[in-house]
Amino acid sequence: MHDQKTLKASEMFTMIGLFIGMKVTDTTPTLFAQKAQNAFWLIPIISFLVILPSFFLLIYLLKKAQNKNLMELIESLIGSKLGKTLGFLIFLSSFLLMCLDSRSYVEQIKLLYFPASPTTVLFFLFLCVVFFGAKKGLEVIGFTVKTSFLFIKLSALLLALLISVEIVWQRIFPIFGSGLSTILKEGALKGSIFSEFFLLTIAYTSFKDTKQFRIGTLFGVIFVIIEITFFFFVYATVFDYNSIEKASFPFHDITQYVQLGEYFANIETFFMVFWLLAGFLRFIIYIYLITWIFGAVFNISEFEPLILPFSFITLIIGMVPDNSVINELLFRDMLLNYVTPLFVLFPVILWIVALSRGALKK
Amino acid sequence: MIKHYGYIPVIFLLLLILTGCYDRIELEQQSYVIAVGIDKGEETGTFSFTFQLANPEVGATLSAGSDEEPQETVTITGSDIITATNTANSFITKKITLDQTKVIIISEELARSKDFIRVIQTAARTPQIRRSVQLIVSKENASDFLNNNEPKTETRPHKYYQYMLNRASQTGIIPDANLHRFFQITEGDADLFLAIYATTEISEPKESGSEDEYIAGQVPQQGGSKTQFMGSAVFKEGQMIDILDGQDTRICNILDKTIEMEELLATYPDPIKPEYQVSANYSQKSVPLVNVSYDKKNNHAKIDVTIPFEIEIIAIPSLVDYAQNNKYNQKLRESIEQSIEEKTTKLVKKSQEEYGSDPFYWSIYIRRYFKDIPAYEEADWNKVIYPNASITINYKLKRLEFGKMLKDSKLNEVRD
Repeated sequence: MHDQKTLKASEMFTMIGLFIGMKVTDTTPTLFAQKAQNAFWLIPIISFLVILPSFFLLIYLLKKAQNKNLMELIESLIGSKLGKTLGFLIFLSSFLLMCLDSRSYVEQIKLLYFPASPTTVLFFLFLCVVFFGAKKGLEVIGFTVKTSFLFIKLSALLLALLISVEIVWQRIFPIFGSGLSTILKEGALKGSIFSEFFLLTIAYTSFKDTKQFRIGTLFGVIFVIIEITFFFFVYATVFDYNSIEKASFPFHDITQYVQLGEYFANIETFFMVFWLLAGFLRFIIYIYLITWIFGAVFNISEFEPLILPFSFITLIIGMVPDNSVINELLFRDMLLNYVTPLFVLFPVILWIVALSRGALKK
Repeated sequence: MIKHYGYIPVIFLLLLILTGCYDRIELEQQSYVIAVGIDKGEETGTFSFTFQLANPEVGATLSAGSDEEPQETVTITGSDIITATNTANSFITKKITLDQTKVIIISEELARSKDFIRVIQTAARTPQIRRSVQLIVSKENASDFLNNNEPKTETRPHKYYQYMLNRASQTGIIPDANLHRFFQITEGDADLFLAIYATTEISEPKESGSEDEYIAGQVPQQGGSKTQFMGSAVFKEGQMIDILDGQDTRICNILDKTIEMEELLATYPDPIKPEYQVSANYSQKSVPLVNVSYDKKNNHAKIDVTIPFEIEIIAIPSLVDYAQNNKYNQKLRESIEQSIEEKTTKLVKKSQEEYGSDPFYWSIYIRRYFKDIPAYEEADWNKVIYPNASITINYKLKRLEFGKMLKDSKLNEVRD
């Protein structure tokens, strides 16, 4: 399915916008606020700066190599054995991150809308939707993301507008929150919140033209960093430092807080619809790309049947943490820290190898 | 034929998805709590919770003429709000839902005790209670407040609280006291939080004083609902320490840039004929300018507050011609500015000396002088900086208008 090549820059742009932009609505802001207090909105910028050179290096290598996707590039540069090991590492870390991430989404849905339902059942249903979506292939995913992107982002914008009366910008002071060194350290360690950028490069050759991929990526990356910083800024100024680190789901707290005039007092369900759609799409992209990487590592060209077992494994691993607090503050925090060096370093290693081999001179 | 079987998994899945409706609950199986009242229980650690449940049928067009009561009030003893709803279900047939709760009422006795913060903390933990719920402190027990509260014209309780509080906070006689703000200020540990003060017990009406120098219960009224919302309860570190009257609450609302306030009516002394008052419509188009300069070495702050405002004169009972006589006009301007400045300075002084912290949310202005939170917290706004700060208040009357009449009728000509 992935060789019809109808994808264009707009699909890439919107996919990045949903895939990574959704982080503003999960527990990521709270995770950062626990460490950096009211300066947590600066962390994405630092993480971004940490991960960006590596990412652009990878894009540059892909451009040089021409018609090769991520795995093909890796294998052609550092050989099959090492390449497969690296590919497997990338797969494993991203897969674990996805399991914990999806658990966090399910916890949100449960806590806020279906308190009586068992987590397992909700998780199962969530993954059912994700599985059927992912099975459709990248073209359909790209198209769906493109058509729903505008509505999802407009609903988020509406929320930002409604909450804007509550913003007191002085709350960003003291500007360095719990201290400059904490922000720098946390920002550097959490570079992996942008690790999804790298996963998308597995689809490098599936676009109509690789130039489309690069243009979409460039604008998508700019859009996402602005969006994340903006929303984190909103949270910091609406909640203030001691309150934000206690709110597990600031996005939902805000949707419960705002009201549209006197008549529409409880409007969180309106936002929930778009949020849920975006959540589904995010994990559809996630599981599709991860399965693809797995397929590429083990030379399985027809990897789409693997989505079913992977969905199932996601459920099992995702259910390991006892509750959302452990999931977020312990497992996810730790994993994000460990994964960062991998994604920061591997494009650099590839580049050095390519340079020494003279592969870049062509 | 093979294609036919493709529907089987779909149907199977549909079944699966539909059985996932664990949380399905019909509207008529739920009881919506509009107001929660919290009182001190007899033993320590227990509280008594009063739930005011709305009857959704009242006010619906279909059931017009039904003689059901619009609301039901029940009281339960428990240790926290959520388990109390469970206990209440031993005699309430429907599932009690807190989604629609508009107000939480706390008795003054509980608010002044150290236990208040414990019980309100549980309200933040449950996703059912919204952060926009308003906090009300009642002079009497919260259960009495809820039982006595019998609105005459607005029988649907959810609309009653919404309209009542909206109107009162527009005029500034009560603060904006939602739960979000309570936690923000209490956890920020720098400023004072103001909750709405209310009562259903009419005490001795206060003898003298202008129209807004009351606290709830003192407003002389005849007829209408007995419930009065007026003034505010001052909370320091999650514990109530004092009551401010309607006028002081207005000043707090004026000085706090995070609170939106519409125009308000007030009276000011008539400078030419002091036995009369001038009624005016005070409106504030822009936020007050709070200028904080901070001396790091001595940990001392200088706060300069400039409040631009506009006045529209509504009534001049003394019939002095302020509109066209320039000298009088100037005198009136100065006298209004002075009178409101005096009242504000008095309140600021009181907050510095008596409370040791500010109800105006001014700590947000000092924060930019610190580079991180540890330094900010060490400087200690509410114990060191604010009580010793030198504060100057400056009201600037931008525009003085005289409504649609240029001149009052000349008294001596009328009586001719």
